[in-house]
Amino acid sequence: MSILELVDVRKDFSKLVVLRGIDLSVEAGTKHAIIGPNGAGKTTLFNVITGKHPASAGTIMFKGHNIARYSAHRRNRLGLARSFQTNNAFFGLDVFENVRAGVRSRFGLRYSFIRGPGALQEIDEATWQILRRVGLADSASIPARELSYGQQRALEIGMALSTDPELILLDEPTAGMTREETAEAVEIISRVTEGRTLVIIEHDMDVVFSLADIVTVLQNGTVLVSGPPEEVRRDQRVKDAYLGSD
Amino acid sequence: MKNRFMYQILAVLVLLCLPLVLGRFHVSLLTEIIVFAMFGVSYNLLLGYGNLLSFGHAMFFGLGAYTTAVALNHIAGLNFFAVVALATGTATLVGFLIGFLILRQKGASFALLTLAFNALFNAMAIKFTFITHGDDGLSLTRPEINLGFVTINTSDVVVFYFVTLVILGSAILLSWYFTSTAMGNTIVLMRENEERMKFLGYSTNITRLILFALTGGLAGLAGSFYALFFSFVSVDAISITMTTTVLLITFVGGSGRFAGPILGAFVYIYLQNFLSDITDRWPFFMGLIFIVMVIFVPGGLSKLIEDVFRWVKARWKGTTAEAEGET
Repeated sequence: MSILELVDVRKDFSKLVVLRGIDLSVEAGTKHAIIGPNGAGKTTLFNVITGKHPASAGTIMFKGHNIARYSAHRRNRLGLARSFQTNNAFFGLDVFENVRAGVRSRFGLRYSFIRGPGALQEIDEATWQILRRVGLADSASIPARELSYGQQRALEIGMALSTDPELILLDEPTAGMTREETAEAVEIISRVTEGRTLVIIEHDMDVVFSLADIVTVLQNGTVLVSGPPEEVRRDQRVKDAYLGSD
Repeated sequence: MKNRFMYQILAVLVLLCLPLVLGRFHVSLLTEIIVFAMFGVSYNLLLGYGNLLSFGHAMFFGLGAYTTAVALNHIAGLNFFAVVALATGTATLVGFLIGFLILRQKGASFALLTLAFNALFNAMAIKFTFITHGDDGLSLTRPEINLGFVTINTSDVVVFYFVTLVILGSAILLSWYFTSTAMGNTIVLMRENEERMKFLGYSTNITRLILFALTGGLAGLAGSFYALFFSFVSVDAISITMTTTVLLITFVGGSGRFAGPILGAFVYIYLQNFLSDITDRWPFFMGLIFIVMVIFVPGGLSKLIEDVFRWVKARWKGTTAEAEGET
């Protein structure tokens, strides 16, 4: 069963057409990679799915809801979370608070005038659990801006996990990492996304082929090919458009 | 944590005892300081905690003041608490409505729209003479407080000081508590990264609206006591100058700390009093001090005191402190 279904999704910014009718189906429980050359519209696709930008046209079905007109926070509450390509945390707050922000939101503790942000024991426990899973437990009390770049990437993943989403979209989680850091990140990602559906934008082909069940190649705002990694790897159009030019 | 709580209790005790040693003039000044501290605290929740720069905070202050004066002049036998609640409620409601209208505006356009609304309210106060008496202003008589078993005559300076201290002091303490609640923390999330919070299930619109209405209401509460304190309201209360005053109080005290604007109000009121005794051109010197503060002490006095305190502490402990700091 597909958890996310895009039908003819279009996005243009005034004159600039970025997405030219995307059809995409993501099966629940799978790991789905989106690849494509720069400017293919990968991040825009994420922005349209998660509600950063409204789609110009088309339907986005998530768990049976057409979320195309939903606000970003409503989509998140349905069980959809994302990370960002550039580190995008609450930089002035410590690592613990960064993750707790999402956790307490999941527990419905968003706007209370009475209770504190850590009023429930479950919130603290769930926060620590996420911090341990992404390897930041020792840095919990450090302000996010003082983390190393690699740690900030890990925090991105931790924050995406914090609302306990069914579908998690990671935008280039290994961008700017060394080979060792990348290997570690891949391990963390496969560990924390167990039992969830993952859609990942990735440039590193090693990461793509070691992680993904399905690969979708985006080019020029349309889906070029979509299928299992081996199939995509063999596809001549993909070789021409993307892999060959590497 | 316990240690910090001690300071609050100590401050309350000192404030309760001050009228025993101070003359009536200084008690009166202290009352004014509490009123402006409340105004400053409400503004700092908006600016320091929520990072919303408003140039229209005096509209809520003035609205609270005018509501108080008008209600007392038109409704006979109005209860003290009822009039304060009415003023606070009116300001909260207007904060909610205006907040709703300018919800989606960010940064400069938000600031300019708040300025425009402030100018609108200011013009209404000047022109709607049938209710505000325009430039003549409105005078009022402070109502008594009837607690059932005892009636408190608020016309006395010292009595009114205690009334202000108890009510506004409680409101300031509640505001302080508010900053440690989930909602208070959500406001800080908005300051730190308004975009990111959306993707964690928070509505930025709801957060802004609640904050704007809340701080509007608290400013209205301060305005109500301003009117009661002077037993008079003029268009000054709702003018752009009053907005500048709260900006000054907040910046001089420092927007980075909760106590900043309280300190700012203390400095502002005493300085204004001192300077206006010496010269008619006191606003000029106030402006000069403001410029110097913003340029040379960007964190405000609260940050300055903190830095000095830390420096002295480090010097006191000498090398042992440095060694400790490294571990």
